[in-house]
Amino acid sequence: MARYGMALDYKNCINCRACETACKAENGILPGKDNYRIWIGQKEAEGEWPNISIVSQTYHPSQCQHCDNAPCQQVCPTNATYYDENRVVRVDPERCILCTYCINACPYDARYVDDRTVTVDKCNFCSDTRLANGETTTACQATCPTKVRTFGDLDDPNSEISQLLKTREYKQVKEHLGTKPKLFYLI
Amino acid sequence: MKVEISRRRFLQGSVALSIAGGVSLTPSQIIASAKAATKPEDFGKTKKVATLCEMCVNKCAAFAYVRNGVITKLDPNPHFPKSRNMLCPRGNCGIAAIYDEDRLKYPLIRDGEKGSGKFRRVSWDEAYSYITEKLVKILDEEKDNRSTVAFCAGEGMAEHTFKNFYTGFGSSHFLNHATLCLATTVSGYSLTIGSYGQADLENAKYIIMAGANRAEAILTPDTLDLFKRTRGRGAKLICVDPRFTNTAAKSDKWLGIKVGTDLAFVLALTYVAIKEEIYNKEFVKNNFNDFESYKNHILSNNYTPEWAEKITGIEASDIYEIAREFMANAPRAIYYQGRRTTWSKNDFQLRRAQALLTALAGSIDTKGGICFGKKIPIKGHEVPSPLYDNARGRIDATEAAVVGGSGTWVGFRNKVLEGRAEYPIRALFNYKHNPMQNMPNSKKTEEFLKKLDLVVTIDTMPSDTVLLSDVVLPECTYLERTDPLKVFGGIEPAIAQRNKVVEPMFESKPVIEIMRGLTKKLSKPLFEITKKYDEEVQDMIVEDGEKSVFEEEFNLAKAFESSQEELNHHAVSDYEGAAEQLEKIGVFYPNMDRYFKKIGVNDYEYYPEDKKFYSVRNGKLKTASGKVECNLKSLAKKGIDPMPTWKKEYELEIPNGKFRFVTGRHAQFTQSGTANNKMLLDLVPTNYLWINKRVANKLGIKFGDDVEVVSKVGKTKIKAYPTEKIGPETLFFIHGFGNYSEDLTLAHNNGGRDAEILEDGIEPMHGSTCLHDTIVEIRKV
Ligand code: SF4
Ligand code: SF4
Ligand code: SF4
Repeated sequence: MARYGMALDYKNCINCRACETACKAENGILPGKDNYRIWIGQKEAEGEWPNISIVSQTYHPSQCQHCDNAPCQQVCPTNATYYDENRVVRVDPERCILCTYCINACPYDARYVDDRTVTVDKCNFCSDTRLANGETTTACQATCPTKVRTFGDLDDPNSEISQLLKTREYKQVKEHLGTKPKLFYLI
Repeated sequence: MKVEISRRRFLQGSVALSIAGGVSLTPSQIIASAKAATKPEDFGKTKKVATLCEMCVNKCAAFAYVRNGVITKLDPNPHFPKSRNMLCPRGNCGIAAIYDEDRLKYPLIRDGEKGSGKFRRVSWDEAYSYITEKLVKILDEEKDNRSTVAFCAGEGMAEHTFKNFYTGFGSSHFLNHATLCLATTVSGYSLTIGSYGQADLENAKYIIMAGANRAEAILTPDTLDLFKRTRGRGAKLICVDPRFTNTAAKSDKWLGIKVGTDLAFVLALTYVAIKEEIYNKEFVKNNFNDFESYKNHILSNNYTPEWAEKITGIEASDIYEIAREFMANAPRAIYYQGRRTTWSKNDFQLRRAQALLTALAGSIDTKGGICFGKKIPIKGHEVPSPLYDNARGRIDATEAAVVGGSGTWVGFRNKVLEGRAEYPIRALFNYKHNPMQNMPNSKKTEEFLKKLDLVVTIDTMPSDTVLLSDVVLPECTYLERTDPLKVFGGIEPAIAQRNKVVEPMFESKPVIEIMRGLTKKLSKPLFEITKKYDEEVQDMIVEDGEKSVFEEEFNLAKAFESSQEELNHHAVSDYEGAAEQLEKIGVFYPNMDRYFKKIGVNDYEYYPEDKKFYSVRNGKLKTASGKVECNLKSLAKKGIDPMPTWKKEYELEIPNGKFRFVTGRHAQFTQSGTANNKMLLDLVPTNYLWINKRVANKLGIKFGDDVEVVSKVGKTKIKAYPTEKIGPETLFFIHGFGNYSEDLTLAHNNGGRDAEILEDGIEPMHGSTCLHDTIVEIRKV
């Protein structure tokens, strides 16, 4: 029993997209431009050459926020979306009926249709592929060259993520919606 | 600041191919081949093998997971100080390299016009016999001038094995990527401060990174260390680049310099440092040789920031500020060396000037500066290196001032083509190198390859060069072989080993086995030729008997008798338990059992701080004088400026309506070597032409439009990407796309091909190519 979350030192992110490939390989996600659980948000640069705004080119690593108060879970008519024992928001392929309510409900655009399992799927913190095998890191975290990601138990005061959140300032995405996201962007 | 979330990622996603297959859908033929090699008792179990990645040159440590003979996942292996604890996107996509359906599977002999792509499948023995027959004929006709056969190789751990063959064969001609890549920076720093060194980006406080793009051209550990510390977190990064790269995005300041003018920028920084006397006086006093000459040279030439502003487009005030900040952060200020430094005619001088500036700060052989580090000694093994009396010297020796052991590739090629060589070049052995893609002006490369009587290529993929070969020998991929272990010297030295993860598929083999088979076949017949023409050898035979001369000196197979595993064991036999540890976890260094510690969920400590090799030279550099060399007088005799000097001829005119073309890299691709990798293409499906947005608007060019880029030597078609991240006089696209080979199903004709349009000028010092000196125009098509 844990309450898993992830802290992101997003200023380290170099937009290399290793996390995307690692996630696809670990979780067997099909190729194709719409199939992904994780992505790096990026905008076109602001300004005119040679005066480009550096901050306009900040990279935002993004994935399911594992909300403690998840809108996708609330709208799911079959309870296919549920909280597992570690408060990870999970999807049960057996129950998913592809109604896509969750796609619309998710304010973070975290969901996609997995044609392999015929499920509206998303990041599950590698619960079935890694955590179940005794790994303590997610695939995206392990592979990251600049160590953007710290995954861990928010309920354990001694965990590295808890320590980070105690000592560093952070922001959350769209927390005003009351979703209580468990991804923390370190400032 | 608002965090932006979008499922419609910019650019990359907008034109993605839909590729059937992928990791979870491996073709049945591949699966069958993989399973056939699995021992029955291993079915159903997951095996974890320590390997080293070969998707680029870094050689990151990885663990491969294998189930039922199939590699299911590659994970970072945290034991290796150089790669810390990571795998980049390409490293993750190694699975798509081994399971690429287009792989070379069997030995092939050409069966049609050269370049027709028609081959017949042969046995290994037939291939070896064919090569032997051809070589016997060539060497007989050339009276045992071994240098009529050239050797070239791509970078890699097994390049060493291939080089043993070259050594035994006795040719003077070895060619590799050095003059297409880093020759000028390695020698610029070596001749100035004694060695290329390692920039200590874990501790530097001020870094000028010009042209080098470490956020996209990933280099370990530099990339891994630097970007945790930029943006007000310990290291100030100044990025100087004609393009706004991902490195620019992570920098504190970006300067969009005019292409090819970096030397003027560095000279002006040096001017400020010397004029204002803000350099590290103590260091200069103790460690510089002939500083007075350099000082006078810089001041008397008036290399002022105002002068440089006109040439570089960088404001004088920025240059003053950067020079002052650089020196204020001494000795933890680095002008980063850079790696692929084949830009323009002044590359060598530019690297000399950078090294001198870094030395002016005293940031040499010290924590936070350029460090030289330590190596770990290992044992070598003997290989035959017979002397052939009739082997003549390099034909490219006079094509540049200093032609090293790996030649000047373009100089060599052009000399052969232009019929200027002192004797004919008849054959080429090519190990995992793709000159059709990696050399400028590929029409000439094609002509060159067609001109040769025999081209033997060892590779994993049917590259453009493979198509122009006579004999093709399929090497297995890095995941299917154990390679020579390697010592990685540096601040935190270690030995690392690539272990075989699965058995080679189809009929592919590791290069050591290919060399073994080939040399067994050809040593004797080639010795017969030597016997016929080499009087020295004839005398030796009279004295020692033919059998003994052959066995002692000319049996090239001797170099490949032992297995790679045995050779590796021998190499580290002075260290107890090292060989076993290298097989198990892939990494070894003395005291690792005491030093190596996990210190966080992501982080490991490899050496305690006081055991790291930051300072090793004790005030004596590895240069001729033991000091920083300001004035290399010996070069003047060869027509090379003894001190970095700006010349008018470096200012390339860009006619109205035309552009200067630059090439480069991004993090999801390694040159043409990954052009057919379906997982990487899933991330970035093709390359794009960067063109300034305002210029594109004027020309009516929109995102995704097909345009033709035309130079004096060729043209290529590519999709446009209008952006403000590039200036109005410059065009850019990523190298390695636009392959000709139809046998590369996904890479064939995909995107623009820079080798086709790049002109093939070389710089005067080493004959390195000038990849940023081509003027082009564009047409919408
Ligand atoms: S792997 Fe790390 S650095 Fe690379 S894109 Fe993902 S979060 Fe960013
Ligand atoms: S935690 Fe696992 S499933 Fe989620 S984005 Fe990372 S790799 Fe993918
Ligand atoms: S940097 Fe990437 S491609 Fe290169 S060796 Fe490391 S993991 Fe492999």
